[in-house]
Amino acid sequence: MSGQEAHIENTLWMKAVVMGSIFLLIGVAAYATMGVGMANVRHHEYEEAVHEYEDAKHAYEDAKAANASEDEISQLYDLKTEAHHHEIDAHLSYLTWRTAGITILLMCGTYASFIGLGGFLNSIQPQDDGHDSHDDYGYGGGHEHHGSGSPIVFAFGIMLFLMGFPSFQATLKDMLAGNEAALGDLGMSMVGLMIVVIGVSNWWREDLPFIGNNEQLATSDPFAGQHIRKAGLWIFIMSEIMVFATFFSAYLRMRTEWCTGWQVEAGNCSQVNMLTASDFLRPNGAKLGDIGGQGDFMTLLPGAINTFALIISSYTIVLALKTANTKASEWKASQGFMGKIMPTQKAAIRNYLIATLMLGSLFIVLKLIEWSHLVAEGFTIETQAGSIFYIATGAHGLHVFIGLLVMLYLVFKADTVGFDEKNAQGIEYFGLYWHFVDLAWVVIFPAFYLY
Amino acid sequence: MGEHETHGIIENIFDGLLGKDIYFWNFIILMVFTLFEVGAVFFEGIPLTTVWAILIGVGIVKGYGIAAYFMHLKGDPRIYTRTALFPVLFVLLMLWGIGLSNPGSVQGLPDWCTPNWDYARNR
Repeated sequence: MSGQEAHIENTLWMKAVVMGSIFLLIGVAAYATMGVGMANVRHHEYEEAVHEYEDAKHAYEDAKAANASEDEISQLYDLKTEAHHHEIDAHLSYLTWRTAGITILLMCGTYASFIGLGGFLNSIQPQDDGHDSHDDYGYGGGHEHHGSGSPIVFAFGIMLFLMGFPSFQATLKDMLAGNEAALGDLGMSMVGLMIVVIGVSNWWREDLPFIGNNEQLATSDPFAGQHIRKAGLWIFIMSEIMVFATFFSAYLRMRTEWCTGWQVEAGNCSQVNMLTASDFLRPNGAKLGDIGGQGDFMTLLPGAINTFALIISSYTIVLALKTANTKASEWKASQGFMGKIMPTQKAAIRNYLIATLMLGSLFIVLKLIEWSHLVAEGFTIETQAGSIFYIATGAHGLHVFIGLLVMLYLVFKADTVGFDEKNAQGIEYFGLYWHFVDLAWVVIFPAFYLY
Repeated sequence: MGEHETHGIIENIFDGLLGKDIYFWNFIILMVFTLFEVGAVFFEGIPLTTVWAILIGVGIVKGYGIAAYFMHLKGDPRIYTRTALFPVLFVLLMLWGIGLSNPGSVQGLPDWCTPNWDYARNR
């Protein structure tokens, strides 16, 4: 994507560094207020609730041991149950704030690393004189478009990261547990991450000045005459469909062996032997021993909000593309509030992309809050149902997060050189990926949360 | 999005309705159907098969809305739709495999067509 048709001052990249700093500040502020301030208050309440529950439990057991009247025992049992529910609520409330604070900090830290490092690496490059340098690549000085090696660098970095990942995660686990850790084992993954950042930075440098001329067209069937990047993206989406189909087939195959609440209700078996995530999330879920079956409106709410968030974000990116594709002479600012926050075409595109970024970030935060609640309630990755749930929804969440990193760059480009009808393909092709992520959620949500 | 404009029956009904384009109405339909989907599991007394039918039906409508209009497969050349649908072959193979590998789901097939259940049970 190295069009190199618009002159880009290196100082422009410093704006990315400023954006990175802002993200870091937001992350630290969110962590301080939510992850520490609010979480500490909730933790204090949780500790009190634990004491209250312990007292109620002892009072009930003492009354039973002392052969107290049935009325008294029944009253104490109700108090114990109420204290237990209060303890669970207090624990989940604490987890909500703590997880939200940590997640926002980690997300903003990653945003800051990508956009800040990418901007910094580009800002220290020798100043581009703005000339098209196709001659250097042996293209004869015309305006023919040439490819980019950055995706290969990026893929190489990912490969190294994954090769080192087993020892990377083991070392991190040791560090978090306070055990002695061999820091050298982090090496390969860290080198991989550095190569990823370098690859991404170079990719951005190549794409930022691209103003949409000389888009390469496929010359042979079956995509003859189509934009080669769009065809490539659809083939990528095709491979992604197969990845998610694998998760679903594994899930369906395993479900045929489980006796779930649904199977019992359908009369196919009599005793529940496996709790699925939906038993913890939706109302009337099955119980197995003491766990499961506590689902209500509030437990399903994060998943439901996430579903709406992804649909709205799909629409906001459509609006960004539609605005970019509108001729400047035909574009008019809306009346009222929308007109105030989107006074110009450039601001409208940028703000629609920011809205998409925020909705996607909300998705990740709510997802991790929901996971923390599920784990606290006993739905862990150790069970078959937990394993497929966390892998499938985790893989989807990872796709959302990677999309957010790309979106960061789109926001930066929209705010600097801007998008118009000539270079709107960037938004269109990213939009295809984002809609696919939404589409995957359309299947994941009912299959894992409601069924 | 001029290159993605389509003129089917649905587009003729919705595009331009109340001054809004097809993307807006697609968005509204997706939101309404999601409400319907979430609501279905809250109502006690709805038969299980009905809830399944609702979840699958809503999923198909939402999937079509996203793929056809937001991903503009409806206005793009057919090759993109074929590319997107290509994995369906493998999904069908997987479903076939799930059916054959589960003793409870397929009954009455000839021996040569079913896996060795003894092996599966004793492995």
